[in-house]
Amino acid sequence: MIEFKNVNKWFNKLHVLNNINLKIPKGEVLVICGPSGSGKSTLIRCINRLERIQKGEIIVNNTPVHDKSSNLTKLRAQIGFVFQQFHLYPHMTVLQNVMLAPVNVKKLDKKVAEKIAREKLEKVGLTEKASAYPAQLSGGQQQRVAIARGLAMSPEIMLFDEPTSALDPEMIGEVLDVMVKLVSEGMTMCVVTHEMGFAKKVAHRVLFMDEGTIVETGTPDDFFDHPKTDRAAEFISKILTH
Amino acid sequence: MMGFYFSRLVEIYPFFLKGLWMTSKIAFISLVTCTLIGFILGIFRSGKNIILKRIVGVYVAFVRGTPFVVQIFIVFFILPEWGLQLDAFPAALLAMAIMGSAFICEIVAGGIDSISKGQWEAAASSGLTLAQQLRLVIVPQAMRVILPPLVGQYVLLIKDTSVVSVIGVMELTRVGWVTVVRIPEGLMVFSLVGVLYFSISYPLILLSNYLERKMALE
Amino acid sequence: MHSQLSFGGAPPKKMDGSMLVDFNFRIIFEYLPLFLTGLKSTFFISLISIALALVTGIIACACRISGIKILKYPAIAFIEIIRSTPLLVQIYFLYFGLPTLGLRVPEIQTGIIALMLNSGAYIAEIIRAGITSVDQGQLEAGTASGLNYIQRMRFIILPQALGVTVPPLLGQSIVLVKDSALLSLISVMELTRCGQTMTSERFMPSEAFFTVAFFYMCIYFCLKALADWSQRRLIFREAY
Repeated sequence: MIEFKNVNKWFNKLHVLNNINLKIPKGEVLVICGPSGSGKSTLIRCINRLERIQKGEIIVNNTPVHDKSSNLTKLRAQIGFVFQQFHLYPHMTVLQNVMLAPVNVKKLDKKVAEKIAREKLEKVGLTEKASAYPAQLSGGQQQRVAIARGLAMSPEIMLFDEPTSALDPEMIGEVLDVMVKLVSEGMTMCVVTHEMGFAKKVAHRVLFMDEGTIVETGTPDDFFDHPKTDRAAEFISKILTH
Repeated sequence: MMGFYFSRLVEIYPFFLKGLWMTSKIAFISLVTCTLIGFILGIFRSGKNIILKRIVGVYVAFVRGTPFVVQIFIVFFILPEWGLQLDAFPAALLAMAIMGSAFICEIVAGGIDSISKGQWEAAASSGLTLAQQLRLVIVPQAMRVILPPLVGQYVLLIKDTSVVSVIGVMELTRVGWVTVVRIPEGLMVFSLVGVLYFSISYPLILLSNYLERKMALE
Repeated sequence: MHSQLSFGGAPPKKMDGSMLVDFNFRIIFEYLPLFLTGLKSTFFISLISIALALVTGIIACACRISGIKILKYPAIAFIEIIRSTPLLVQIYFLYFGLPTLGLRVPEIQTGIIALMLNSGAYIAEIIRAGITSVDQGQLEAGTASGLNYIQRMRFIILPQALGVTVPPLLGQSIVLVKDSALLSLISVMELTRCGQTMTSERFMPSEAFFTVAFFYMCIYFCLKALADWSQRRLIFREAY
């Protein structure tokens, strides 16, 4: 479903993505972890072309992402993206935030879009906050709205860029619960995160990145309990000791 | 003596109101055209197209780097040499449009630049086109940053209409200038002119201050 | 080409390269001494005016922020009147008004007074904004250690307010240089007046006013570079 072929990206002189080859089949839940600066955020941001690549190909559902002739709008409608900083639109209510894309990109009727939006809000457990503004919500609630916003387009793929890193500890759980629910529904997900509990519980595969390359991959159990490389082992011990 | 001049001034009062009316006309038309053009230019100026950015930048630098009175002379005296002969009133409107748009362009660009990159990315990720991103997400938020200085700029534009008096447009300042020849009471005549300008500027200044405080609180 | 004397009657120039060739650089060189005199005049008028405006602004600001009503309210009135009325009206007010009071002031000084009062009001507001921008917490710390009003001003507020104030002051200087062009309308000999003189003598408004514009742009870019530099170097931020 998502395929990286010899993908390379430079940022000025820095080689941020170094010969990435990766296949993510439909329905897989992939967790990407690694030290900061390893390129993990950049990697998923290339999937919906928030970042450009200089060499190689990324193909999503048989459509090349970085090709000039590809229909970017259609492509992005199939991919939901959740940001670390949520980035909800502050000048709109929660409901309007979730409805915006269905109305303006899929050109759905407002009533139809509203129904869908309320469904997604119910799924993330925030039905009663539909008329509230983002500023009135806690961080955890805002992130859940952001997930609902991503789901509103009924995407085939959901990408998460460190979804809980900006949250206070007591709110991380409510967001992870929603994500676990999505896994149980068979969503293809690619999650950049440090939450190892989540990875162990629901991920099918873990990817460890360092300095722009994929250093190691494996099932969560294999990776966390028996890392094959020193770098991975070092990283795991650092996360676990705090 | 003063009394004699004062009574003549009272006679001429309607003339001043006509001047005020002309000033208001020029101001209103200019505010509308400058806002429209300024917003479009501001969107270009804050966009990704470097060539467009540079071109608008050069235009803005010229307007900001030269006195308005010189720009008026250029519009009124130089354009005829290139085939565009304008009467005083249209020339005044053109000069105001050129000048005001440049300043509003910078205010709008500043507002758009102040919106975090994340908002652009969130909007783009849902599949919205560039026009949709601007219309639905970016500009509504930018308006909070743009509004106070924009209203402040409106006050400046109203005051700048006084400079078009140099090419003979019979607006409020020129009325004063023409009157003071026949009623040589400079203080009285231009106090009256000043009061009339004050009456249209000061409410806008209060509005601008109010908006600034309101934005600071949010 | 330029033998047609009336403005309206001049044949339109062709909008092609010949326009640039016709642009009579020789005439500009002939008038260069005049332009340089005007430039020098503009320079000195601006310099004197901004210096006086600075003094005016400091005094007006001090009155404005003082608690003493007899100083505060006239200062507020002064600032608001200046900001709500056009500079040209203020210039004419003095130019036509001072003689009626029996004062015969030469145009150049009338102009400088007008610029001084006008920019002074704006500078007063700039300084006021700079002073209020200094964090209140610092003042509290100063008061707690026993500093009196003057000491707090001198050691805490003014040094920090300075950094915030200098860039907008340079901005106001740029505005003042452009404002000085209006003095040409009361027959003051400065840069814009040179353009008017050349136009009335030779009927070549293009050469005259583009040259004038060019000189103003030079001044603008110099001042702007200075303002941008000061923006970067002079602002102190509290280190947390």
